[in-house]
Amino acid sequence: MIRALLTALILAAAPAADQKSLLQGKLPDDPARKVVQGKCMLCHTGDYVTQQRLTQGQWQKTVDKMRKFGTPATDDEAKAMVEYFARYWTPDLPPQRPVRAALPPGSAPGK
Amino acid sequence: MSLGRRRFLESSVAGALACWLEVPRLAQAKDGAQLIRRTERPLNYESVRSTFTTRLTPVDRFYLRNHFDIPQVDAAQWRLKIHGLVEKELALSLADLERMPQFTVEAVLQCAGNGRGLFTPPVPGVQWRYGAMGSAEWTGVRFKDVLALARPKSDAAFVQLQGAERPTMTTTPQFIRALPVAKAIHPDTLLALRMNGKPLAPNRGKPARMVVSGWVGDDWVRALEDVQLRADEPKEFYYDPAYRFPVTPGAPGAPIPADQMKPMTKLNVKSIIGSLADGDTLRAGTRQLAGVAFSGEAGIERVELSFDGGKSWTPATLDGPPTPYGFRVFRHAWKAAPGKYQLACRATDSNGATQPETPVWNPGGYLYNAVEQLRVEVRS
Repeated sequence: MIRALLTALILAAAPAADQKSLLQGKLPDDPARKVVQGKCMLCHTGDYVTQQRLTQGQWQKTVDKMRKFGTPATDDEAKAMVEYFARYWTPDLPPQRPVRAALPPGSAPGK
Repeated sequence: MSLGRRRFLESSVAGALACWLEVPRLAQAKDGAQLIRRTERPLNYESVRSTFTTRLTPVDRFYLRNHFDIPQVDAAQWRLKIHGLVEKELALSLADLERMPQFTVEAVLQCAGNGRGLFTPPVPGVQWRYGAMGSAEWTGVRFKDVLALARPKSDAAFVQLQGAERPTMTTTPQFIRALPVAKAIHPDTLLALRMNGKPLAPNRGKPARMVVSGWVGDDWVRALEDVQLRADEPKEFYYDPAYRFPVTPGAPGAPIPADQMKPMTKLNVKSIIGSLADGDTLRAGTRQLAGVAFSGEAGIERVELSFDGGKSWTPATLDGPPTPYGFRVFRHAWKAAPGKYQLACRATDSNGATQPETPVWNPGGYLYNAVEQLRVEVRS
């Protein structure tokens, strides 16, 4: 009983450490991270990934769509990305921490 | 009318999370940090809740939504091409537009996906919560006057629109939209050169952008460059299948057949309390509440407030003259006695449409307009 309780506590504590960095929008270390950084970030930043909370099926559709749009990923790389995304950015993960920011450059009116 | 227990619980949990996640961060915000960054590239920023207490939204607090990097347009070299089913093809300069009669319309620009992050189950896309909207005074030429110069042929039924923005990769679909001619020639559909009195900045569509009053933001194409009159609807990705809403919404999470998805048009009725945030703690006394309400092509008829989670409602006061397309500010002097409250606001438009208790889930996460709730504690 005590062992089971300890195991449960350890299991509960481990994702909590990951969750903090996930909620800060970080990409966890993983072989797939390099693929994401090299292929997805040609067109957009990683926050397109880290704010999503999707099922494996939704991630598969998203990666399929991005490949159709031109993401230069091989079948193996795409599979690794879907597994990576579906492992961390799940529907039950709380929302990402909002980041306050001033209006970026290019906002000044003028001709 | 009371909100369902399940929704109450869901919103309580979401509210607790929002409070824990958001309020401390907002309290630490530095001067000038008036937006919440959703994505860094392309730029997608939403307004903070406190923005929504004024009829017009200041440009520096107005949300930004981009599919691609912002184009750098040289206004002196810029030309607007009009072609397709027209008697006379045209290439108009900014000076040409500035010489034409100018009109001003007050209208809400709202991203179709505003509120996407509030849907359950979650929907892919930028996870906007409440701030991908704003209202401005848009000044420019009537789009019908521009089209008239090209003399559209009688079989022209749609007006295809494309701006200067381009995707990074040539394999990515370009952002192309279309309007039915009837909306394109509506007198309140403008090709705007100014926003709140000032020339458009690059990220607002310099030098000219569409203002499709009352309709969703995806039609408000920026840095408009190419207008094609056509008999049919385009098959480009951002028109078909993207930006579509189910004719008959299904169960949350359920797929909808493509032939049951239609282009979005009008915005739906919506309201937000801007002067309070979920999880706020107030001192007892008279508290001035303020927020904004709007609804597509219909003005706001009334806004009601609830302090007990939707069991009872009290009318708010509407500021200023009616506006068919803009924000209507509402106010209420709340005599706040110590206790815990669940605040809600609910708008009804001049057609009798009112906000639903639960959002209408759809696969794109569009047009969220459920009555929202804020948990507030009043201390003596």
